[in-house]
Amino acid sequence: MIEVDGIGKTFSLTRKQKREMGITADRLWAVKDVSFTCRPGRVFTLLGPNGAGKTTTLRMIATMLTPSSGRIRVAGFDTVREPQRVRERIGFLTGTTGLYARLTPDELVSYYANLNGMDPGILNRRKAELFSLLGIDAFADRRIGKLSSGMKQKVSIARTIIHDPDVVVFDEPTVGLDVITARSIIQLIRTCREEGKTVIFSTHIMGEVSLLSDDLAIIHKGHLLFNAPFREFLSGMGRESIEDEFIHRVETAEVGGEGDPS
Amino acid sequence: MKNAPLIARKEIRDTLRDRRTLIVMLLIPLVVFPLLINIVAKMTISQKREAREKALAVALVRQENARDFIDVIGNPQDISFAEWNESGDIETRLREGDVDFVLVFDAEFDRRIAASKPARIDLHYISSEEAEITRPRVLGLLDRYRKDRVSRRFAALDIDPDITEVLDVRERDHASIKEKIGEAIGGFIPYIVVIFCFIGAMYPAIDLAAGEKERGTIETLLASPATRLEIVIGKFTVVFLAAIGTGLISLVGIYLSIQGTREIPPELMKALIQVISVESMLLFLSLLIPLSIFFAAVLLSISIFAHSFKEAQSIMTPMNFLILIPVLIGLFPGIKLNTLTAMVPILNVSLATRQIVSGTIPPLLLLEVWISLFLLAALSLVFCARWFQREGVIFRGS
Repeated sequence: MIEVDGIGKTFSLTRKQKREMGITADRLWAVKDVSFTCRPGRVFTLLGPNGAGKTTTLRMIATMLTPSSGRIRVAGFDTVREPQRVRERIGFLTGTTGLYARLTPDELVSYYANLNGMDPGILNRRKAELFSLLGIDAFADRRIGKLSSGMKQKVSIARTIIHDPDVVVFDEPTVGLDVITARSIIQLIRTCREEGKTVIFSTHIMGEVSLLSDDLAIIHKGHLLFNAPFREFLSGMGRESIEDEFIHRVETAEVGGEGDPS
Repeated sequence: MKNAPLIARKEIRDTLRDRRTLIVMLLIPLVVFPLLINIVAKMTISQKREAREKALAVALVRQENARDFIDVIGNPQDISFAEWNESGDIETRLREGDVDFVLVFDAEFDRRIAASKPARIDLHYISSEEAEITRPRVLGLLDRYRKDRVSRRFAALDIDPDITEVLDVRERDHASIKEKIGEAIGGFIPYIVVIFCFIGAMYPAIDLAAGEKERGTIETLLASPATRLEIVIGKFTVVFLAAIGTGLISLVGIYLSIQGTREIPPELMKALIQVISVESMLLFLSLLIPLSIFFAAVLLSISIFAHSFKEAQSIMTPMNFLILIPVLIGLFPGIKLNTLTAMVPILNVSLATRQIVSGTIPPLLLLEVWISLFLLAALSLVFCARWFQREGVIFRGS
């Protein structure tokens, strides 16, 4: 379970950034007053254009960033007070996630498992299970730098879920991936849901929204414009497609002045 | 802190598989550098020997005016005289290498000598490293003639030539061979080792922080249960080991360079080996440890700040020159280790090493160097650890 309660995040701006953005304020609200809940066994989609605040929100959930206001609880633990407990319970994957090219898949997955404090016996069992499931066995001892992008993505998946986390955070996980590799990520998200994990993923790709979402939040300029089960979004649609409806909502927010970042 | 050793182990494995790091850490200090030193030393020594043993060609212009000189000097060994009829274009002929030196006698040379007056000789040459070695041989020749004439003039006046010798100076240099060699190579050791220490730490530092950002692996590490402190300590340990490791390897490289230079006379070689004693090397290591901590912390901090490999490299490369300045100042004659220079990082290592190798370092100054270095190391390490806690630094530009 992820409980996000009125979080906000500000970043200080350099003079150059202020000039480029055409604003005078010293700080920028990247995320402001955002609340939502992600439940186990469901996929929560955070939809928004580039720069909407998706990554900032997910980084706060993963304890990489500290909220400037509000609070987040992951699997019952506060991200600010008990960040290590939170990190023990999450898996984190982004589309731009890289791997250590000079390690082998076996070494890399073991490294993350050890960081998660896994018992050696359980680790070996889990690794064997995942490697067999994902077909990593054939290249488990080859340097990652010499693997194809599809093979690398499989290793990335194994790394993310080796410690069997309760919560999995996917930040635009298919960005930059080819269709076949992206499909393996989509399948991973489904598997996580079936296993009863809490899944949150961010995207700006409409196809993924309809494929995966149980719950949907639309974020724009740091503000939530919509937060409800996905079926409610579908039933309340006044436009022909999800994409049109999304654009309509974003444009309406723009006209209403919602989401002023400063 | 249970994750710090885990991170360090992984980073060591990763670093040791990086060809670029291995080249900088092992190949350059252990193979390329000794080879280069060896070649340069061999060339220098053989060039000097050649210059010393070379048969000099000296042209004599207006020789007919200096019969007395020719009679006294005769045909010295390793110097062949050639008679030139006119002074002509001396410079061109010197540059063409026809002769090494040209002696031009004054038209009144013999007459002035006979009249017990100073007679003029112009000595022409093109200055060069070789001329520095060969010129004293020609000057020695002239000096021989001068002494001969002086004693003859005194004899004619029935005066003891010793009357002109007011002082009988006998120099006694009490510096031991260890001190002399220490002065000579004591400055050279930190010059090489400190630079290798810095360069050796550079690539691992870049790879472990800026490289991690660029590869997109930093987020997965930050999302792991390892704390920021554990991560930075794990990474710092590896950068520090790379710094001190490369420094020590370069020290082995210097030793191999000396051992491999066959042209060094056996007595000098024996003295050199004695100078690089276990005790002095341990003392030097005690300076190198805090210095490596400082280098590792500074380089890692820069790398944490940079958002790409290229940016980190562009900041660090000019720093090589910054490191060079205090090391070079330490090589200047007259710059000594004192209570003030003992506080200046890098310079203090350079100066202290010279005195450690010479065996002349005052214990209190050594203590001051240690205190200042360890203080600096501690401060830079604390800064690095805090720097890594800052979100604005880690996620700069993303």
